[in-house]
Amino acid sequence: MTGVTDLDPVIHAAARLRISATLASLDEGDRITFPRLQELLDMTAGNLSTHLRKLEDAEYVTVTKAHQGRTPVTYVTLTRRGRRAFEDYTDALRALLGGEK
Amino acid sequence: MYGDTRTRRRERLDVQTTLRYKVHMNSPTPPPTADEPLASPDEALALIREQQRSVTERTLGGVPWILVMWAISWGIGFLALWSGYEGGNPWFQIPFVVAAWVFGVLLVAAIVVSAVIGARIGRGVRGASAFGGVVYGVSWSVSALSVYLIGAAIVRAGADASLMSLYFPAAFALVAGLIYFMGAALWRSIDQLVLGAIIIVTGTAAPFFGAPTNNLVMAVLGGGSFLIAAIVMRVNLRRR
Repeated sequence: MTGVTDLDPVIHAAARLRISATLASLDEGDRITFPRLQELLDMTAGNLSTHLRKLEDAEYVTVTKAHQGRTPVTYVTLTRRGRRAFEDYTDALRALLGGEK
Repeated sequence: MYGDTRTRRRERLDVQTTLRYKVHMNSPTPPPTADEPLASPDEALALIREQQRSVTERTLGGVPWILVMWAISWGIGFLALWSGYEGGNPWFQIPFVVAAWVFGVLLVAAIVVSAVIGARIGRGVRGASAFGGVVYGVSWSVSALSVYLIGAAIVRAGADASLMSLYFPAAFALVAGLIYFMGAALWRSIDQLVLGAIIIVTGTAAPFFGAPTNNLVMAVLGGGSFLIAAIVMRVNLRRR
């Protein structure tokens, strides 16, 4: 094993790792509202949006807008691809740690 | 090893495109800022664990308090009933009306606390698991109402009060135990499975002690197991 591996750069950043970890802790197919996600992450709305966009660009999350009565609600969900990427990422981390010891 | 400037510069470029992972990292690193790639796999794994622990704490953190509320409701409520019936508590007696009120108020309080905290668990989450949660929540009120109505039918058929004082606690315990089993299946929770089993055993054993001693059994075994479950869950949440 070499020192540099191909850890997924989309996930391998503190903020996006925390977002992915949070979304992955939901059941597959569950979606969470933007404000609740923000609450669970202690992130500002702007910061969260920025990182969600990057995850969205990689097709790891989908952001959907719905209406509850008249109020718009934004839902975030981890795509199948995103869940697989997160699992691959954690597997890679474990392999690296195992390989190191 | 990574001391020379050329390596540094290359690294900075790498940041843009790929990961920045170094196996032999000896120099201390500053805590990661939001968009900065993480330094080591240890750090990344720790961050995942910490975040998922925090999510669990923020969603399930209130559940031990639901259990504490049920411990109080059963422990004190059934002790009050036991002290209200003639031939119950040998140390002191309280008027039955007072006992029934204490029992009723504590029961309602436990239901309200459970509903309020329970509703906050799945806040902001929609999807497949939300359906399970709703069914779980509805099953409590439906089955409690059913136990009550069956009891009313038996009374109407001529059963006397002392027989009913055996039926009600046992039936409620059976239903509660089964719902904990359901929770165990839904959330793959051994804690709930154990609690459900104890509650069912308690409910089944209590009537064999006859009235009003069955109330003492419910208070000690039922109330006690809720309290232990609350402590176990609190400890597990913290350890995760």
